Amino acid sequence: MPNLFTLVLQITVILAVCRLMGSLFRRFHQPRVVGEMFAGILLGPSLLGWVAPQFSAYLFPPSSLGFLNALSQVGVVIFMFLVGLGIDPKELKHQSHSAVLVSHVSITAPFVLASLLALYLYPRLSDDSVSFTNFALFMGAAMSVTAFPVLARILIERDMMKSSLGTVAIACAAVDDVTGWCILAYIVVLIRAAHGTTSIWVTLGGILLFAVIMIYGVRFLLRGLERTFRKYGEISENRMAFLLLLALASALCTERLGIHLLFGSFLMGAIMPKEPKFVRYVLDRFETITITLLLPLFFAFTGLRTNVRLMKGPAMWFYCGLIIAVAAAGKLGGSMAAARATGMPWREAAGLGTLMNTRGLMGLVILDIGLDIKIISPALFSMMVVMALVTTFMAVPLLDLIAPGNLVRPESAGIPAQEVTV
Amino acid sequence: MSGTNRNFVLVYVFLVILPLVGLAGILRGGRKLTAPVSIDGVWSLRVDSAQLDSLPCGKVLAAIPDKAISISQSGRSFVLSFPGAPTVTASGTLDGITLRASLTSPPESSSQTGCAGQFSLLATVDRQADPESLLGALSATNCPTCTSVEFEAKRQAPATSKGGR
Repeated sequence: MPNLFTLVLQITVILAVCRLMGSLFRRFHQPRVVGEMFAGILLGPSLLGWVAPQFSAYLFPPSSLGFLNALSQVGVVIFMFLVGLGIDPKELKHQSHSAVLVSHVSITAPFVLASLLALYLYPRLSDDSVSFTNFALFMGAAMSVTAFPVLARILIERDMMKSSLGTVAIACAAVDDVTGWCILAYIVVLIRAAHGTTSIWVTLGGILLFAVIMIYGVRFLLRGLERTFRKYGEISENRMAFLLLLALASALCTERLGIHLLFGSFLMGAIMPKEPKFVRYVLDRFETITITLLLPLFFAFTGLRTNVRLMKGPAMWFYCGLIIAVAAAGKLGGSMAAARATGMPWREAAGLGTLMNTRGLMGLVILDIGLDIKIISPALFSMMVVMALVTTFMAVPLLDLIAPGNLVRPESAGIPAQEVTV
Repeated sequence: MSGTNRNFVLVYVFLVILPLVGLAGILRGGRKLTAPVSIDGVWSLRVDSAQLDSLPCGKVLAAIPDKAISISQSGRSFVLSFPGAPTVTASGTLDGITLRASLTSPPESSSQTGCAGQFSLLATVDRQADPESLLGALSATNCPTCTSVEFEAKRQAPATSKGGR
């Protein structure tokens, strides 16, 4: 049984610190989520555990962390459902040549650079129970992801959602996220299959069958929900509960198949009907509790696993700096070079690169999985968390500097993007 | 094929296809790399408590109820902790199959016992043993005349859940 006093105290402190840091970061024109991510780090061994170890041990006793983790994971499962919901496959289908090129380069460039970096880091920060291929692929996936929700939030706040830059950025981020998650799923399946009793072919067959059922069966069921919404302008509580049950069931299926809970909830969101009003309605029902209560718990739990004090000595800080530089060069540089190659003006190309370089919460989710399956070590995890924070933090000031709003061209033939506000 | 399309294909090959070929090469080349031996996990410790007690400030270690050590590894460096006594931690380095770490007794135990003991741990990994084992010795850093206490640790949680070779 959890110690309820401790659990409620933890939640209270986490929510208070996250709100405070979120509001503080908003003053510096940063998305609230960046402040909340930072709050998580402050509550962990990097700061609280260092300056007040007794209080930290009282507030977060090791025996209580399982419950906090369980709650935070439920939050991330729902969050991934919302991220999937915000991704519209039609946007990907209607991409112009330039968007196709930018999205593909924004995956391959960080992937190749991350793999090159892996050649250097593998003998230094990994161990021989992890294969180089898995290590390099994971580094690539973690560096090539874009924080779709944070990016959408920045675009909304700067009124850039309907600009050509905003449309291309949203489409590219969607492609990047889907690709990144597919690669991560591949790695997780390989690792779990290597240590499980089920053959990898059975696992792959199961995943394929599951995807077919979701896309051709469950999706059909969901269209009925959308029709009901169109008819009555709302969905009953029972139907909303059914929707939530489907998302959880989908998450359970992918976990059982050996991938991860999060893939199921993401797929469930991705196959949902994309009529904007319907999407907005569902988002409104789920967002508040997820953003205000459950995600801060995830940030805190990630912060509790992040220990920047593991980066002892100049060598470790050099690795961390190198990771940040390579991540930015791959994502920002790669996207910018590709956008420029398609004829986009320099400033817009740089703005697109900056937007694509935000990893934010999606980066943390991927890193969390990496630490869980022990493909990355605690020190490397901490470095990658710092990298995710830095690259997300730098987006707004860089955008102010290189692509202020008045330089951004309006979209000519826009495909409306779902306004995900997570 | 129009000029625009031809340009697009050329740029695509240069920026996407070629890097992917390069990626395949990197993955192939990287297989030859070797990483430090894995010591991450929980190890059950066998040590003579009476001998440990005889070390200056050894009572702190002898009093730990559950003689298990947990190692959290990051490449060549690692953090060692005792699940039975979360405040006792040590950090060390791995050189080949040799572990070196220094343990410091926690401040609160120092105030209770008047002991601010420092211990050094030197051990080697025996990868042939099943389960893998650590063979080594604990000694008091500030007491050159004290005899070191030998120990053996067996791996409790081998790298079954680890990221796959």
